[in-house]
Amino acid sequence: MTKYYIGTAGWSYKDWVPNFYPKGQSKNFDWLQFYSRHFNVVEVNATYYAYLSPNSFKGWVEKVSSEEEFLFTVKLHQDFTHTRRFEEANIKAVRTNLDILAKAERLGGLLIQFPYSYAFNSPAAEYLRNLNDIFQDYNRFVELRHSSWNNPDAYDFFRELDISLCTIDQPQIGRSISFEPLITNSRAYFRFHGRNEAEWKKSISNYGKEQTYEQASERYKYLYSPGELVEIEQKIKQVEGKVKEVFVIMNNHPSSYGIVNAFELLFMLRRKDKLNIPESTLKAFPRLSKIAAA
Amino acid sequence: MRTIFHLDLDAFFVSVERIIDPTLEGKPVIVGADPKQGRGVISACSYEARRYGLHSAMPIKMAYRLCPNGIYLHGHYQEYCRYSEAVKNILCRYAPVIEQASIDEFYMDFTGCEKLYGSFFMYASFLQKTIWKELSLPSSVGIGSNKTIAKIASDCMKPKGITYVIPGMEEEFLRRMPVETIPGVGKVTLRDLNAKGFYKIGDIAKAPLQYFSSCFGQCGTDLWEKAHGRGIEFLSPGHDRKSISKEHTYGQDVIDRKIIEQTLFNLVSKVCQGLRDEGLQTSTIGIKLRYTDFITLTRAKTIRPTSDDKEVYETVLQLFRKNHTRRVAVRLIGVHLSKLEEFSEQEFIFEDEKIRRKKMFQAVDSLRAKYGYASINVGVAQPSKNA
Repeated sequence: MTKYYIGTAGWSYKDWVPNFYPKGQSKNFDWLQFYSRHFNVVEVNATYYAYLSPNSFKGWVEKVSSEEEFLFTVKLHQDFTHTRRFEEANIKAVRTNLDILAKAERLGGLLIQFPYSYAFNSPAAEYLRNLNDIFQDYNRFVELRHSSWNNPDAYDFFRELDISLCTIDQPQIGRSISFEPLITNSRAYFRFHGRNEAEWKKSISNYGKEQTYEQASERYKYLYSPGELVEIEQKIKQVEGKVKEVFVIMNNHPSSYGIVNAFELLFMLRRKDKLNIPESTLKAFPRLSKIAAA
Repeated sequence: MRTIFHLDLDAFFVSVERIIDPTLEGKPVIVGADPKQGRGVISACSYEARRYGLHSAMPIKMAYRLCPNGIYLHGHYQEYCRYSEAVKNILCRYAPVIEQASIDEFYMDFTGCEKLYGSFFMYASFLQKTIWKELSLPSSVGIGSNKTIAKIASDCMKPKGITYVIPGMEEEFLRRMPVETIPGVGKVTLRDLNAKGFYKIGDIAKAPLQYFSSCFGQCGTDLWEKAHGRGIEFLSPGHDRKSISKEHTYGQDVIDRKIIEQTLFNLVSKVCQGLRDEGLQTSTIGIKLRYTDFITLTRAKTIRPTSDDKEVYETVLQLFRKNHTRRVAVRLIGVHLSKLEEFSEQEFIFEDEKIRRKKMFQAVDSLRAKYGYASINVGVAQPSKNA
């Protein structure tokens, strides 16, 4: 039976208050703890920007201790995927943290996300093979955004590496990879970036420029409609029964849209049991009332 | 004897609107034109709205008079298309042959599946429940020996109903029903039928075929066959789309021909884009013209298959100029493409001009796909008035 892990990319967003995290929190209130009561996975994105202290990871493990099945997936640092300049110390820093989660049985896997410009060719494939060898002790998910990877030779290559190719949904601009699930090993990983085409185009033209957090996040500001979710559900279900685990990560986090869609997909993909949804989320998004427990 | 299912999604647009906004549940909801503008018609309305006498295709102005407290929505057409596709995907899992008749209607052929599925009634119920469970959409199913019977049957027990017309009982099933129950009997045919004393379908069945066809021509023969419970028994799954049309209702009625012809040009551009998007071409081109006094005429012409804006526009213009004979302002204008078939490359071999135009349209379509419909417009020199 396929096990679904459904959650968001990151959990620490100020703009999730009050629509998800309550207003006027007490001193003991912890966002990750609150989050883990509703979802069974979170993708750690901070690791893409910085090599975090092992204590952070130990703290997270502690905070989710009451949730039996909760997992973290961890995004690989940009030194490995974007600048592609790294040393032994960088590898060690990543492995130390992954090992903390793995030892606690909280590691879902490592997300290796390459930029759009990373197209399929021999050097690119060799580089990926090298990274795959370095991190082969962990489940690996690779996100490639260029459509040149959409070809049978690349699929064979992923199968040979035993790496899961992420299925991504994003605005279809230029040679972006299309939203088509592909099974390359026993796991599937779906990432949803939203379909905010106008902002996505703007962000391409602003690439490399100094931007505030709000400006940089704007392209992910997109709430999937019920009809789009129905399409998504049917696409995801194509891999059901064919893989052991399916990870569904909503990266459309601004304005807590990712949370709303994660609740909806949780309902659609799992048993269709009504969900325990925070009152403030229901108030902000009345369409969730149909899937909320009374 | 065949076994055809007709599955009709109950108040489909309204059901989708209620998924988008559950607070609409239990309220009279009307999807269609804006009642404040006072133009256009109802596309769909909830069963609560129907209690006020509202029905689809009713002028929105009249609807607003009957039900001023209703909730009037413009609708989310893209969402409807997504849900329709999702329903089709579910049905494809279970039905051997499917024909999508419209956005919310599906025919399925289950002939020979009795042993596989057991009771057809139970199977229809299973399909209904699956669609409800997966998509929260209510539906009604009609089961009959042909498409006409199945369609009439699905309409009998709405909403969430199932009607199974046992083979051999078709005539009996139809006998007491009003003649307008037969699909295709509109206001004009109804008036003509009533004028000759035909009120119930049984009245038509009793009449001799010769008399009936002499009164109503070929259309009468078809009606007479339907009244006897006969109809099309085979589905055409490859031709999901039967026609493509676009209409425009003017905010203010228009008398200037140039404006109307410009509107026709824009409509042609849109329908042809739709045609090419689906890899189709048309051979029957029609127009619809509604004057300010609601007198409406439709005219069509058959040409050789095409998906070219220019060829379609020339035909549309001919039809319009020939039939726009009254000096009365126009309220609505529409373009209708039917007899659709898959695009054939073969036809254009050795026709340089056609190949060039085809390439041009491919480029136009890909630009529109990337930057939106309005990013580029195809220009066509307007033929002279004497053309």
